Amino acid sequence: MSLWNPFGSELRKTATLPAAWAGVLVALLGSAAITALNALTVRGAVAAGTPERLADTSPFETGFAAMPIIGVVGAVVIGVVVIGSEYTADRAESGGARQIATTLAATPHRPTLFIAKALIVLVFVAMTALVTIPGNIALARAIIGGAGIETVTPAEAVTRSLSTALYWALMGLIALSITTLTRSGVIPLVVLIANSSIVSFSLLLTNLTPLAHWLPDMAGRKLFGFPSEYVVQGGLDPVPGAMVMGGWALVLMVVAGIVFTRRDA
Amino acid sequence: MTLLTCVSSEITKLRTLPLAVLAAVGTVLIGAVITAALAANAVDQGAPAGATAVLQAVPFAQVGIILLGILPAAHEHAGSQFRTTLVAVPNRGLLATGKTLAALIALTVTAALTVGVSLATAAIAHHLSSVPLPARGAEPWALAGAAVYLSLIGMLAHVVALLVRHLVPALVTMLALVLVVPPLLAGVTEHARWLPDRAGSLLYLPGADTALTPGTGALVLVGWVLVIGAAAVAAFITRDA
Repeated sequence: MSLWNPFGSELRKTATLPAAWAGVLVALLGSAAITALNALTVRGAVAAGTPERLADTSPFETGFAAMPIIGVVGAVVIGVVVIGSEYTADRAESGGARQIATTLAATPHRPTLFIAKALIVLVFVAMTALVTIPGNIALARAIIGGAGIETVTPAEAVTRSLSTALYWALMGLIALSITTLTRSGVIPLVVLIANSSIVSFSLLLTNLTPLAHWLPDMAGRKLFGFPSEYVVQGGLDPVPGAMVMGGWALVLMVVAGIVFTRRDA
Repeated sequence: MTLLTCVSSEITKLRTLPLAVLAAVGTVLIGAVITAALAANAVDQGAPAGATAVLQAVPFAQVGIILLGILPAAHEHAGSQFRTTLVAVPNRGLLATGKTLAALIALTVTAALTVGVSLATAAIAHHLSSVPLPARGAEPWALAGAAVYLSLIGMLAHVVALLVRHLVPALVTMLALVLVVPPLLAGVTEHARWLPDRAGSLLYLPGADTALTPGTGALVLVGWVLVIGAAAVAAFITRDA
Protein backbone atom coordinates (compact mmCIF):
# COMPACT_ATOMS: atom_id res chain seq x y z
CA MET A 1 0.00 0.00 0.00
CA SER A 2 1.39 3.38 -0.92
CA LEU A 3 1.61 6.27 1.51
CA TRP A 4 -1.12 8.06 -0.40
CA ASN A 5 -4.02 5.80 0.69
CA PRO A 6 -3.30 5.84 4.44
CA PHE A 7 -2.74 9.59 4.18
CA GLY A 8 -6.17 10.03 2.60
CA SER A 9 -7.92 7.82 5.14
CA GLU A 10 -6.15 9.48 8.07
CA LEU A 11 -7.01 12.90 6.67
CA ARG A 12 -10.68 12.00 6.50
CA LYS A 13 -10.56 10.42 9.96
CA THR A 14 -9.00 13.51 11.52
CA ALA A 15 -11.23 15.91 9.61
CA THR A 16 -14.27 14.18 11.11
CA LEU A 17 -12.82 14.17 14.63
CA PRO A 18 -14.40 17.02 16.65
CA ALA A 19 -11.41 17.14 19.03
CA ALA A 20 -9.02 17.98 16.18
CA TRP A 21 -11.20 20.93 15.18
CA ALA A 22 -11.32 21.93 18.85
CA GLY A 23 -7.53 22.25 18.67
CA VAL A 24 -7.80 24.40 15.54
CA LEU A 25 -10.49 26.55 17.13
CA VAL A 26 -8.53 26.98 20.37
CA ALA A 27 -5.66 28.46 18.36
CA LEU A 28 -7.89 30.54 16.12
CA LEU A 29 -10.59 31.94 18.42
CA GLY A 30 -8.50 32.07 21.60
CA SER A 31 -5.79 34.12 19.94
CA ALA A 32 -8.34 36.32 18.14
CA ALA A 33 -9.95 37.22 21.48
CA ILE A 34 -6.59 38.11 23.03
CA THR A 35 -5.57 40.07 19.93
CA ALA A 36 -8.83 42.05 19.92
CA LEU A 37 -8.38 42.96 23.62
CA ASN A 38 -4.72 43.87 23.05
CA ALA A 39 -5.50 45.98 19.99
CA LEU A 40 -8.32 47.84 21.76
CA THR A 41 -5.91 48.58 24.62
CA VAL A 42 -3.33 49.95 22.19
CA ARG A 43 -5.91 52.07 20.39
CA GLY A 44 -7.28 53.36 23.70
CA ALA A 45 -3.81 54.24 24.96
CA VAL A 46 -2.94 56.11 21.76
CA ALA A 47 -6.28 57.94 21.81
CA ALA A 48 -5.73 58.90 25.46
CA GLY A 49 -2.23 60.15 24.60
CA THR A 50 -0.46 57.64 26.86
CA PRO A 51 1.20 55.16 24.46
CA GLU A 52 4.36 55.25 26.61
CA ARG A 53 2.76 52.94 29.19
CA LEU A 54 2.78 50.18 26.56
CA ALA A 55 5.88 48.36 25.31
CA ASP A 56 5.06 49.45 21.75
CA THR A 57 2.09 50.25 19.54
CA SER A 58 3.12 48.02 16.63
CA PRO A 59 0.11 46.26 15.04
CA PHE A 60 2.32 43.25 14.26
CA GLU A 61 3.49 42.82 17.86
CA THR A 62 -0.09 43.29 19.07
CA GLY A 63 -1.44 40.58 16.77
CA PHE A 64 1.51 38.33 17.49
CA ALA A 65 1.35 38.41 21.30
CA ALA A 66 -0.95 35.38 21.70
CA MET A 67 0.91 33.17 19.19
CA PRO A 68 3.58 31.65 21.46
CA ILE A 69 1.06 30.41 24.04
CA ILE A 70 -2.41 29.90 22.54
CA GLY A 71 -1.12 28.66 19.19
CA VAL A 72 1.14 26.13 20.88
CA VAL A 73 -1.82 24.83 22.90
CA GLY A 74 -3.72 24.31 19.65
CA ALA A 75 -0.78 22.46 18.06
CA VAL A 76 -0.39 20.26 21.14
CA VAL A 77 -4.10 19.37 21.14
CA ILE A 78 -3.92 18.43 17.44
CA GLY A 79 -0.78 16.33 17.95
CA VAL A 80 -2.31 14.53 20.94
CA VAL A 81 -5.75 13.73 19.52
CA VAL A 82 -4.54 12.45 16.12
CA ILE A 83 -3.06 9.40 17.84
CA GLY A 84 -4.75 9.57 21.27
CA SER A 85 -8.21 9.12 19.75
CA GLU A 86 -7.12 5.71 18.41
CA TYR A 87 -6.66 4.40 21.94
CA THR A 88 -9.94 5.67 23.43
CA ALA A 89 -12.31 2.80 24.27
CA ASP A 90 -15.45 2.73 22.20
CA ARG A 91 -18.98 2.51 23.62
CA ALA A 92 -19.89 -0.80 25.24
CA GLU A 93 -22.75 -1.36 22.73
CA SER A 94 -20.26 -1.41 19.88
CA GLY A 95 -17.88 -3.79 21.63
CA GLY A 96 -15.87 -1.39 23.77
CA ALA A 97 -12.89 -1.87 21.47
CA ARG A 98 -10.32 0.72 20.50
CA GLN A 99 -10.16 2.20 17.04
CA ILE A 100 -6.47 1.31 16.70
CA ALA A 101 -7.43 -2.35 16.07
CA THR A 102 -9.57 -1.35 13.06
CA THR A 103 -6.93 1.10 11.85
CA LEU A 104 -4.20 -1.56 11.94
CA ALA A 105 -6.44 -4.06 10.17
CA ALA A 106 -6.90 -1.51 7.38
CA THR A 107 -3.25 -0.39 7.29
CA PRO A 108 -1.11 -3.26 8.58
CA HIS A 109 2.18 -1.60 7.64
CA ARG A 110 2.81 0.35 10.80
CA PRO A 111 5.66 2.66 9.73
CA THR A 112 3.51 3.88 6.83
CA LEU A 113 0.63 4.50 9.20
CA PHE A 114 2.84 6.42 11.63
CA ILE A 115 4.30 8.58 8.86
CA ALA A 116 0.78 9.27 7.58
CA LYS A 117 -0.26 10.35 11.09
CA ALA A 118 2.75 12.68 11.32
CA LEU A 119 1.87 14.20 7.94
CA ILE A 120 -1.69 14.77 9.12
CA VAL A 121 -0.41 16.62 12.18
CA LEU A 122 1.75 18.78 9.91
CA VAL A 123 -1.16 19.48 7.57
CA PHE A 124 -3.50 20.49 10.38
CA VAL A 125 -0.91 22.63 12.17
CA ALA A 126 0.13 24.31 8.91
CA MET A 127 -3.50 25.00 8.06
CA THR A 128 -4.07 26.47 11.52
CA ALA A 129 -0.97 28.62 11.27
CA LEU A 130 -1.89 29.80 7.79
CA VAL A 131 -5.22 31.13 9.04
CA THR A 132 -4.30 32.16 12.58
CA ILE A 133 -1.07 34.12 12.19
CA PRO A 134 -1.98 36.40 9.23
CA GLY A 135 -5.55 36.57 10.56
CA ASN A 136 -4.47 37.95 13.93
CA ILE A 137 -2.08 40.44 12.40
CA ALA A 138 -4.83 41.62 10.05
CA LEU A 139 -7.26 41.86 12.99
CA ALA A 140 -4.78 43.94 15.01
CA ARG A 141 -4.15 46.18 11.98
CA ALA A 142 -7.88 46.65 11.40
CA ILE A 143 -8.52 47.67 15.01
CA ILE A 144 -5.46 49.84 15.56
CA GLY A 145 -5.54 51.38 12.09
CA GLY A 146 -3.11 54.25 11.65
CA ALA A 147 -2.81 54.91 15.39
CA GLY A 148 0.12 52.58 16.03
CA ILE A 149 3.73 52.89 14.92
CA GLU A 150 4.94 49.75 13.13
CA THR A 151 8.35 48.68 14.43
CA VAL A 152 8.59 45.39 12.51
CA THR A 153 9.65 45.35 8.86
CA PRO A 154 7.70 43.15 6.41
CA ALA A 155 10.73 40.85 5.99
CA GLU A 156 10.96 40.35 9.77
CA ALA A 157 7.22 39.78 9.94
CA VAL A 158 7.38 37.01 7.34
CA THR A 159 10.40 35.37 9.00
CA ARG A 160 8.80 35.45 12.44
CA SER A 161 5.47 34.11 11.15
CA LEU A 162 7.18 31.21 9.34
CA SER A 163 9.40 30.49 12.37
CA THR A 164 6.32 30.42 14.59
CA ALA A 165 4.61 27.96 12.25
CA LEU A 166 7.77 25.82 12.44
CA TYR A 167 7.68 25.91 16.26
CA TRP A 168 4.01 24.86 16.26
CA ALA A 169 4.68 22.06 13.79
CA LEU A 170 7.60 20.70 15.82
CA MET A 171 5.52 20.94 19.02
CA GLY A 172 2.69 19.05 17.29
CA LEU A 173 5.11 16.29 16.25
CA ILE A 174 6.56 16.12 19.77
CA ALA A 175 3.02 15.83 21.17
CA LEU A 176 2.25 13.07 18.63
CA SER A 177 5.40 11.15 19.59
CA ILE A 178 4.87 11.38 23.35
CA THR A 179 1.20 10.38 23.01
CA THR A 180 2.21 7.40 20.87
CA LEU A 181 4.53 6.31 23.68
CA THR A 182 1.99 6.83 26.49
CA ARG A 183 -1.06 5.68 24.47
CA SER A 184 -3.13 8.24 26.40
CA GLY A 185 -3.45 11.97 25.93
CA VAL A 186 -3.48 12.90 29.61
CA ILE A 187 0.20 13.14 30.48
CA PRO A 188 1.31 14.85 27.21
CA LEU A 189 -1.52 17.38 27.47
CA VAL A 190 -0.70 18.26 31.08
CA VAL A 191 3.05 18.49 30.56
CA LEU A 192 3.07 20.28 27.20
CA ILE A 193 0.28 22.79 27.95
CA ALA A 194 1.70 23.62 31.37
CA ASN A 195 5.14 24.03 29.80
CA SER A 196 3.89 26.44 27.17
CA SER A 197 2.36 28.66 29.88
CA ILE A 198 3.98 30.81 32.56
CA VAL A 199 4.00 27.76 34.87
CA SER A 200 6.76 26.17 32.81
CA PHE A 201 8.81 23.34 34.27
CA SER A 202 11.53 23.96 31.66
CA LEU A 203 11.73 27.65 32.55
CA LEU A 204 12.07 26.71 36.22
CA LEU A 205 14.84 24.25 35.37
CA THR A 206 16.84 26.97 33.61
CA ASN A 207 17.24 28.62 37.03
CA LEU A 208 18.99 25.48 38.26
CA THR A 209 21.05 24.42 35.27
CA PRO A 210 21.86 26.12 31.95
CA LEU A 211 21.45 22.69 30.31
CA ALA A 212 17.67 23.23 30.51
CA HIS A 213 18.03 25.75 27.67
CA TRP A 214 18.52 22.68 25.46
CA LEU A 215 15.05 21.27 26.23
CA PRO A 216 12.82 21.42 23.13
CA ASP A 217 10.48 24.22 24.18
CA MET A 218 13.28 26.36 25.63
CA ALA A 219 15.56 25.75 22.63
CA GLY A 220 12.94 26.86 20.13
CA ARG A 221 11.54 29.86 21.97
CA LYS A 222 13.71 32.43 20.13
CA LEU A 223 11.87 31.38 16.95
CA PHE A 224 9.08 33.76 17.98
CA GLY A 225 11.57 36.58 17.50
CA PHE A 226 10.41 38.85 20.30
CA PRO A 227 12.73 41.82 21.00
CA SER A 228 15.39 40.56 23.39
CA GLU A 229 14.47 43.00 26.18
CA TYR A 230 11.08 41.25 26.69
CA VAL A 231 12.23 37.63 26.93
CA VAL A 232 14.20 35.55 29.41
CA GLN A 233 17.89 36.09 28.74
CA GLY A 234 20.28 33.35 27.73
CA GLY A 235 19.64 30.22 25.76
CA LEU A 236 20.14 29.33 22.13
CA ASP A 237 19.83 31.65 19.14
CA PRO A 238 16.95 31.08 16.69
CA VAL A 239 18.76 28.90 14.15
CA PRO A 240 20.70 26.61 16.50
CA GLY A 241 17.61 26.55 18.74
CA ALA A 242 15.42 25.43 15.85
CA MET A 243 17.95 22.73 15.01
CA VAL A 244 18.01 21.48 18.61
CA MET A 245 14.20 21.50 18.77
CA GLY A 246 14.03 19.75 15.40
CA GLY A 247 16.52 17.19 16.69
CA TRP A 248 14.29 16.50 19.70
CA ALA A 249 11.28 16.11 17.43
CA LEU A 250 13.20 13.77 15.10
CA VAL A 251 14.57 11.59 17.92
CA LEU A 252 11.17 11.37 19.61
CA MET A 253 9.53 10.54 16.26
CA VAL A 254 12.05 7.76 15.58
CA VAL A 255 11.68 6.30 19.08
CA ALA A 256 7.89 6.53 18.94
CA GLY A 257 7.88 5.07 15.43
CA ILE A 258 9.98 2.07 16.49
CA VAL A 259 7.87 1.49 19.61
CA PHE A 260 4.66 1.87 17.58
CA THR A 261 5.96 -0.69 15.06
CA ARG A 262 7.16 -3.28 17.53
CA ARG A 263 4.69 -3.06 20.40
CA ASP A 264 1.38 -4.89 20.67
CA ALA A 265 -1.41 -2.48 19.86
CA MET B 1 -28.84 4.04 49.93
CA THR B 2 -27.65 6.76 52.23
CA LEU B 3 -25.23 9.57 51.48
CA LEU B 4 -22.57 7.89 53.62
CA THR B 5 -22.54 4.64 51.63
CA CYS B 6 -22.60 6.64 48.41
CA VAL B 7 -19.56 8.70 49.47
CA SER B 8 -17.68 5.60 50.64
CA SER B 9 -18.36 3.78 47.36
CA GLU B 10 -17.15 6.80 45.39
CA ILE B 11 -14.00 6.94 47.51
CA THR B 12 -13.40 3.23 46.87
CA LYS B 13 -13.67 3.93 43.14
CA LEU B 14 -11.10 6.72 43.38
CA ARG B 15 -8.77 4.67 45.59
CA THR B 16 -8.77 1.81 43.08
CA LEU B 17 -8.39 3.98 39.97
CA PRO B 18 -4.68 3.86 39.07
CA LEU B 19 -4.69 7.26 37.34
CA ALA B 20 -6.31 8.93 40.38
CA VAL B 21 -3.69 7.50 42.73
CA LEU B 22 -1.00 8.52 40.26
CA ALA B 23 -2.41 12.07 40.10
CA ALA B 24 -2.53 12.38 43.90
CA VAL B 25 0.99 11.02 44.40
CA GLY B 26 2.19 13.08 41.45
CA THR B 27 0.78 16.27 42.97
CA VAL B 28 2.60 15.68 46.25
CA LEU B 29 5.82 14.81 44.42
CA ILE B 30 5.63 17.83 42.08
CA GLY B 31 5.13 20.09 45.10
CA ALA B 32 8.05 18.55 46.98
CA VAL B 33 10.47 18.40 44.04
CA ILE B 34 9.75 21.96 42.86
CA THR B 35 10.00 23.23 46.45
CA ALA B 36 13.33 21.46 46.83
CA ALA B 37 14.58 22.99 43.56
CA LEU B 38 13.45 26.50 44.52
CA ALA B 39 14.82 26.13 48.05
CA ALA B 40 18.18 24.94 46.71
CA ASN B 41 18.23 27.92 44.39
CA ALA B 42 17.38 30.31 47.25
CA VAL B 43 20.05 28.83 49.52
CA ASP B 44 22.60 29.22 46.70
CA GLN B 45 21.85 32.92 46.64
CA GLY B 46 22.11 33.19 50.43
CA ALA B 47 18.39 33.65 51.00
CA PRO B 48 16.50 31.61 53.59
CA ALA B 49 14.68 28.59 52.11
CA GLY B 50 11.36 28.54 53.87
CA ALA B 51 7.68 28.87 53.21
CA THR B 52 8.37 31.15 50.22
CA ALA B 53 9.63 28.18 48.19
CA VAL B 54 6.51 26.19 49.14
CA LEU B 55 4.24 29.03 48.02
CA GLN B 56 6.13 29.43 44.74
CA ALA B 57 5.61 25.73 44.05
CA VAL B 58 1.81 25.99 44.34
CA PRO B 59 1.21 27.03 40.67
CA PHE B 60 3.08 23.89 39.58
CA ALA B 61 1.33 21.56 42.05
CA GLN B 62 -2.07 22.81 40.85
CA VAL B 63 -1.47 21.03 37.53
CA GLY B 64 -1.59 17.69 39.35
CA ILE B 65 -4.54 18.58 41.52
CA ILE B 66 -6.54 19.70 38.46
CA LEU B 67 -6.07 16.22 36.98
CA LEU B 68 -7.14 14.66 40.30
CA GLY B 69 -10.22 16.89 40.38
CA ILE B 70 -11.26 15.91 36.86
CA LEU B 71 -10.98 12.13 37.31
CA PRO B 72 -13.94 11.31 39.64
CA ALA B 73 -16.43 12.63 37.07
CA ALA B 74 -14.55 11.90 33.84
CA HIS B 75 -13.53 8.28 34.43
CA GLU B 76 -17.19 7.23 34.61
CA HIS B 77 -17.60 8.24 30.98
CA ALA B 78 -14.42 6.58 29.69
CA GLY B 79 -16.44 3.38 29.20
CA SER B 80 -19.92 2.33 30.21
CA GLN B 81 -19.27 2.53 33.94
CA PHE B 82 -21.64 5.48 34.36
CA ARG B 83 -24.66 3.30 33.64
CA THR B 84 -23.53 0.71 36.17
CA THR B 85 -23.18 3.53 38.67
CA LEU B 86 -26.71 4.77 37.93
CA VAL B 87 -28.11 1.26 38.40
CA ALA B 88 -26.49 1.15 41.83
CA VAL B 89 -27.47 4.74 42.77
CA PRO B 90 -30.56 5.73 40.76
CA ASN B 91 -31.03 8.96 42.72
CA ARG B 92 -28.88 11.32 40.64
CA GLY B 93 -28.99 14.19 43.10
CA LEU B 94 -27.63 11.88 45.79
CA LEU B 95 -25.02 10.56 43.36
CA ALA B 96 -23.83 14.06 42.41
CA THR B 97 -23.59 15.01 46.09
CA GLY B 98 -21.75 11.83 47.02
CA LYS B 99 -19.33 12.19 44.11
CA THR B 100 -18.63 15.81 44.95
CA LEU B 101 -18.03 15.03 48.63
CA ALA B 102 -15.70 12.15 47.70
CA ALA B 103 -13.81 14.47 45.34
CA LEU B 104 -13.63 17.13 48.07
CA ILE B 105 -12.18 14.62 50.54
CA ALA B 106 -9.59 13.31 48.05
CA LEU B 107 -8.62 16.85 47.02
CA THR B 108 -8.35 18.20 50.56
CA VAL B 109 -6.20 15.30 51.72
CA THR B 110 -3.94 15.64 48.67
CA ALA B 111 -3.69 19.43 49.03
CA ALA B 112 -2.84 19.21 52.73
CA LEU B 113 -0.26 16.48 52.08
CA THR B 114 1.27 18.49 49.23
CA VAL B 115 1.74 21.60 51.37
CA GLY B 116 2.90 19.53 54.36
CA VAL B 117 5.47 17.48 52.44
CA SER B 118 6.67 20.58 50.56
CA LEU B 119 7.12 22.42 53.85
CA ALA B 120 9.09 19.50 55.25
CA THR B 121 11.28 19.52 52.12
CA ALA B 122 11.90 23.24 52.49
CA ALA B 123 12.70 22.77 56.19
CA ILE B 124 15.24 20.05 55.37
CA ALA B 125 16.81 22.24 52.67
CA HIS B 126 16.99 25.08 55.19
CA HIS B 127 18.48 22.83 57.84
CA LEU B 128 21.24 21.75 55.45
CA SER B 129 22.15 25.38 54.77
CA SER B 130 23.76 27.86 57.14
CA VAL B 131 21.42 30.74 56.31
CA PRO B 132 19.88 32.27 59.46
CA LEU B 133 16.20 31.66 60.11
CA PRO B 134 14.03 34.57 58.99
CA ALA B 135 11.70 36.43 61.34
CA ARG B 136 8.30 34.78 61.32
CA GLY B 137 5.69 36.61 59.30
CA ALA B 138 2.17 35.78 58.19
CA GLU B 139 3.41 32.54 56.61
CA PRO B 140 1.30 29.98 58.51
CA TRP B 141 -1.83 31.63 57.13
CA ALA B 142 -0.42 31.73 53.63
CA LEU B 143 0.47 28.03 53.86
CA ALA B 144 -3.03 27.14 55.02
CA GLY B 145 -4.30 29.36 52.22
CA ALA B 146 -2.19 27.40 49.74
CA ALA B 147 -3.85 24.14 50.83
CA VAL B 148 -7.32 25.74 50.62
CA TYR B 149 -6.47 27.18 47.19
CA LEU B 150 -5.34 23.79 45.87
CA SER B 151 -8.54 22.13 47.15
CA LEU B 152 -10.74 24.82 45.61
CA ILE B 153 -9.01 24.79 42.22
CA GLY B 154 -9.42 20.99 42.29
CA MET B 155 -13.12 21.44 43.01
CA LEU B 156 -13.37 23.80 40.04
CA ALA B 157 -11.80 21.05 37.91
CA HIS B 158 -14.33 18.59 39.36
CA VAL B 159 -17.39 20.67 38.45
CA VAL B 160 -16.01 21.43 34.98
CA ALA B 161 -15.52 17.69 34.42
CA LEU B 162 -19.02 17.00 35.77
CA LEU B 163 -20.32 19.42 33.15
CA VAL B 164 -18.30 18.35 30.08
CA ARG B 165 -18.06 14.66 31.13
CA HIS B 166 -14.95 13.72 29.20
CA LEU B 167 -11.36 13.85 30.34
CA VAL B 168 -9.54 15.53 27.47
CA PRO B 169 -11.94 18.47 26.93
CA ALA B 170 -12.16 19.04 30.70
CA LEU B 171 -8.38 18.96 30.99
CA VAL B 172 -7.83 21.39 28.11
CA THR B 173 -10.53 23.75 29.44
CA MET B 174 -9.10 23.78 32.96
CA LEU B 175 -5.46 24.14 31.91
CA ALA B 176 -6.39 26.97 29.55
CA LEU B 177 -8.56 28.70 32.15
CA VAL B 178 -5.96 28.45 34.90
CA LEU B 179 -2.57 28.53 33.16
CA VAL B 180 -2.87 30.01 29.69
CA VAL B 181 -5.52 32.73 29.73
CA PRO B 182 -4.75 34.62 33.00
CA PRO B 183 -1.23 35.84 32.11
CA LEU B 184 -2.41 36.94 28.66
CA LEU B 185 -5.44 38.77 30.03
CA ALA B 186 -3.54 40.30 32.95
CA GLY B 187 -1.38 42.21 30.48
CA VAL B 188 -4.47 43.69 28.87
CA THR B 189 -7.07 44.38 31.53
CA GLU B 190 -7.20 44.70 35.31
CA HIS B 191 -10.40 42.65 35.29
CA ALA B 192 -8.19 39.55 34.97
CA ARG B 193 -8.26 39.61 38.78
CA TRP B 194 -11.72 38.01 38.68
CA LEU B 195 -10.41 34.86 36.99
CA PRO B 196 -10.50 31.84 39.32
CA ASP B 197 -6.77 31.34 39.75
CA ARG B 198 -5.95 35.06 40.05
CA ALA B 199 -8.63 35.62 42.69
CA GLY B 200 -7.82 32.38 44.51
CA SER B 201 -4.06 32.97 44.47
CA LEU B 202 -4.57 35.77 47.00
CA LEU B 203 -5.08 32.97 49.52
CA TYR B 204 -1.38 32.18 49.39
CA LEU B 205 -0.07 35.50 48.05
CA PRO B 206 -1.97 37.99 50.24
CA GLY B 207 -1.57 41.59 49.13
CA ALA B 208 -0.86 40.77 45.49
CA ASP B 209 -3.99 42.62 44.38
CA THR B 210 -5.28 46.07 45.30
CA ALA B 211 -9.02 45.43 45.04
CA LEU B 212 -9.40 41.92 46.48
CA THR B 213 -8.31 40.55 49.86
CA PRO B 214 -7.58 36.85 50.55
CA GLY B 215 -11.12 36.51 51.90
CA THR B 216 -12.91 38.10 48.96
CA GLY B 217 -10.53 36.40 46.53
CA ALA B 218 -11.47 33.03 47.99
CA LEU B 219 -15.14 33.98 47.73
CA VAL B 220 -14.69 34.78 44.02
CA LEU B 221 -13.12 31.35 43.47
CA VAL B 222 -15.92 29.68 45.47
CA GLY B 223 -18.40 31.64 43.34
CA TRP B 224 -16.88 30.17 40.17
CA VAL B 225 -17.17 26.67 41.66
CA LEU B 226 -20.79 27.22 42.74
CA VAL B 227 -21.98 28.72 39.44
CA ILE B 228 -20.35 26.06 37.25
CA GLY B 229 -21.31 23.42 39.84
CA ALA B 230 -24.99 24.42 39.72
CA ALA B 231 -25.01 24.14 35.92
CA ALA B 232 -23.13 20.83 36.13
CA VAL B 233 -25.52 19.29 38.68
CA ALA B 234 -28.55 20.45 36.69
CA ALA B 235 -27.11 18.82 33.56
CA PHE B 236 -26.08 15.73 35.54
CA ILE B 237 -29.64 15.21 36.80
CA THR B 238 -31.52 15.91 33.56
CA ARG B 239 -29.19 14.58 30.86
CA ASP B 240 -29.35 11.11 29.28
CA ALA B 241 -26.59 8.88 30.56
